[in-house]
Amino acid sequence: MSTPPSLRGGARERLQHWLPRLVLSPSFVLVLFFVYGFILWTTYISFSNSGMLPDYTWAGTRQWSRLWSSWTWGIALHNIWVFGLLYIVTCTALGLLLAILLDQRIRAEGALRTIYLYPMALSFIVTGTAWQWFLNPGLGLERTMHSLGWESFSFNWLIDANMAIYTVVIAAVWQATGFIMAMFLAGLRGIDGEMIKAAQIDGAPTWKIYGRIIIPQLRPVFLSAIVVLAHLAIKSFDLIVAMTGGGPGNATAVPATFMYSYAFSRNEMGIAAASAVFMLAVIAALIIPYLYSELRESRS
Amino acid sequence: MSFLHIHNVHKRFGDTHVLKGIDIAIEKGDFLVLVGPSGCGKSTLLNMIAGLDAISEGELLLNGERINDVHPSRRDIAMVFQSYALYPSMTVAGNIGFGLEMRKVAKARRREAIQRAAELLQIENLLDRKPAQLSGGQRQRVAMGRALVREPQLFLFDEPLSNLDAKLRVDMRTEIKQLHQRLGTTIVYVTHDQIEAMTLATRIAVMRGGELQQLGTPQAVYDDPNNLFVAGFMGSPSMNLVTARITRHEGRLVARIAAPAGDVTLPIVRDRAALEAWCDRDVMLGLRPEAITDPASANREDGDIHEATLEIALVEPTGADLYVVTQLGGRSINARMRPGAPLSPGQSTRFAFDVSRMVAFDPETEARIRDEVPATPDEASTGHADSTGNADSTGNILGQNA
Amino acid sequence: MSAGATVARRNTLGRALLYAVLAVFAILYLMPLYVMLVTSFKPLEEIHQGNMLALPDTWTFAPWREAWGSACIGLECSGVHGYFFNSIKIVVPAVLISGLLGAFNGYVLTKWRFRGHKIVFGLILFSCFIPFQIILLPMARVLGILHIANSTTGLVLVHIVYGIGFTTLFFRNFYESFPDELVRAAKLDGAGFFTIFFRILLPASVPIIVVTIIWQFTNVWNDFLFGVSFTSGDSAPITVALNNLVNSSTGVKAYNVNMAAAMVAAVPTLIVYILAGKYFLRGLMSGSVKG
Repeated sequence: MSTPPSLRGGARERLQHWLPRLVLSPSFVLVLFFVYGFILWTTYISFSNSGMLPDYTWAGTRQWSRLWSSWTWGIALHNIWVFGLLYIVTCTALGLLLAILLDQRIRAEGALRTIYLYPMALSFIVTGTAWQWFLNPGLGLERTMHSLGWESFSFNWLIDANMAIYTVVIAAVWQATGFIMAMFLAGLRGIDGEMIKAAQIDGAPTWKIYGRIIIPQLRPVFLSAIVVLAHLAIKSFDLIVAMTGGGPGNATAVPATFMYSYAFSRNEMGIAAASAVFMLAVIAALIIPYLYSELRESRS
Repeated sequence: MSFLHIHNVHKRFGDTHVLKGIDIAIEKGDFLVLVGPSGCGKSTLLNMIAGLDAISEGELLLNGERINDVHPSRRDIAMVFQSYALYPSMTVAGNIGFGLEMRKVAKARRREAIQRAAELLQIENLLDRKPAQLSGGQRQRVAMGRALVREPQLFLFDEPLSNLDAKLRVDMRTEIKQLHQRLGTTIVYVTHDQIEAMTLATRIAVMRGGELQQLGTPQAVYDDPNNLFVAGFMGSPSMNLVTARITRHEGRLVARIAAPAGDVTLPIVRDRAALEAWCDRDVMLGLRPEAITDPASANREDGDIHEATLEIALVEPTGADLYVVTQLGGRSINARMRPGAPLSPGQSTRFAFDVSRMVAFDPETEARIRDEVPATPDEASTGHADSTGNADSTGNILGQNA
Repeated sequence: MSAGATVARRNTLGRALLYAVLAVFAILYLMPLYVMLVTSFKPLEEIHQGNMLALPDTWTFAPWREAWGSACIGLECSGVHGYFFNSIKIVVPAVLISGLLGAFNGYVLTKWRFRGHKIVFGLILFSCFIPFQIILLPMARVLGILHIANSTTGLVLVHIVYGIGFTTLFFRNFYESFPDELVRAAKLDGAGFFTIFFRILLPASVPIIVVTIIWQFTNVWNDFLFGVSFTSGDSAPITVALNNLVNSSTGVKAYNVNMAAAMVAAVPTLIVYILAGKYFLRGLMSGSVKG
């Protein structure tokens, strides 16, 4: 759209000219201060001596080296890597599978879609509470299997330091798969039906049509799904707090819980700030190119 | 002083120069059509007249008053948009009356005005509907009602018929023309459809690449194009353009055009003085399909007819006409013949050329080669008093050099 | 035309298998909700003895009553109802104000563009994606300075600020496809900035308003990080209270009460989802795939 012609005279018309910017400015100022100002502040704190209170004396990379030598931070990084990878791969695979299955002229498609997607409406705290109970070693799934006659069934991952992170993966996958499915389903519905008819006439079997023609065309959906999931994974905090509280011990610590505990329980502001800046850097490296390409495409 | 004067107007978007100095003046009651291919700047020019786009350079005068910096709503103009731009949440009456409401016209008077406009456009029964419940043609009428109700000095139309199907488009075209004649309003109308331009306009401005190619009456633009672009753009089927060599034959200036069965030679009767300078050089000759006919349908009273025998490549009956395609100057050319004439491809037949309507262009610059630029576009359209009489057509020099 | 529709074959066995797989997944997805529900209606003894999947032998509403009115969270034993209303007190103003700001921003960024509008939008948009850990520390201090730490007012401010990104995105994408010609026509008709917005755009914005409200409602209602970081005790939202109830280490675990409390926290968003799932999905989609 054009800018209106420069307006001569008339306070009202001059006001009309500046009004749009005036209306936008409160939001913009809020965002500048509360997002970018805060990012700068936190970044500075990560290079300061701050402990329980902010201390603006420059400390160079002291907090950063303390962060990297922290045993818990090592666990947190390992966990987020394991969690993130499993979460992204499983959600994407399962989401794609469900989408393809649902795309076969299913009678109750609407109802099934609703069922697969509802967990996305729940709070992670609710999800965590539910799954904590469902997987409860004493009274949950294990007991149920025993009472169904499978006496040797044992499932105590929730309290097993080596396995607890996988229970979080299960709950997280349960929550997000429906959404990924919906994304793939939208992608599938956008594919030109005539092309598939042509492939059928060419004699390609169904699985080959999917493998060679349909799935390759879903590449943008894969990209979106992976970015969304990676972003959710790095920010994951609520679910871990609700399911395992980061435990047993520190076994399920991730950067988000690490940051929280150093900021609010351990009063190590500097380390907390450094870990937050690290998280931001990873997400920015992921999101900025994605946003850039998405906005670019939408322009053309 | 003209009613609307666009004076040396430029438009730049950043580095791109969209309009490169447009000069157009029209009188009150004129119907100006801006026509040209997409991207020629015609819509930008219209938006600048409306005040929706800023003018980078130049002046815009309405009724003698400079309106460059006047807010769109104070220019006393109304506009009909390509998409109709009806406000989806308001009824038809609300849409038509919105401009008056914004101008704080009292409710009773507003209702009267809406009623009047609705009667004029025969949409009284639609006043309570929402735009989504209307057909394309009805939306078009509402959009016009919204413009009419304000009784502005100037109406702007931005490709208003391009979203209608072919039949409705013709009907609405007629209605717009009737409305113009009845109300005597001044209209600036943008279209890429040259038939719309021809049928509606009292003045046509042909534009290309941000430059005005020609401004004149429809007939002038059609018969006396300024350059190759205007010649090719206006008219359907479009003007036949062939390469020809200007030579002297038996003391007379002629154009020699290559044809499979031997060159065709046509005498130069128009723009003779200017074409003298082109002797023994190639020019681009233009001849409208209706100026190439079968000998029986040739207009021997006003025209200057010369005949030649050519082989028919293709016959295209349209019902009202019979278009015959033949090879001339290395190109396919269209001739309009009597419908039902017993012609078939491969057959050779006589073609009658009305050389009084022949125009010539500089193949390099694409500019018209003409004796003198007519003083006003109107004069250019008033036929050709200097064209040679019918005596020539009996033809000592016409024919083919086998 | 759906891709699969044309691929589908009339293979009865295959169809049966297909439905079976889909049904198994549906059961898996419903299981946790089902278990939550039945647990919340069982007396505690039955939970300790019986099968998690079995329907209650004796139905009881006592766990729900306790969760709502008398369960102990921290030292306070009055259930989650106070926190439920805290969440409502946070959600309503946060959703309305961030939605209104987003609508104005979207309007300006599409219909009244100015030099640099892309950069402004980019900066606002990026705020949707930052890990909020980066703002926890300074926000805690600013809320303290403004004397709204540990209050629902403070959380309202936080949710408005970090909601603007998404609401702006939604309205901008919606208004991007809203025809410019309508705005031009209204300008010619003599309408100004606010008239065009309130009379022309807003009445046509019902779908995106619904999407935005649902999205913001779900996000704010389900928030835990801001709640746990900036409030404690009485002013906490329901998610924080639920977590405190479930994960407090004192006393016997009353699983039935926990599940009832979880249901209380889940019901508002579930209702919204069931009533307006289409809009919920649209919000999710436009939050991930930019238009």
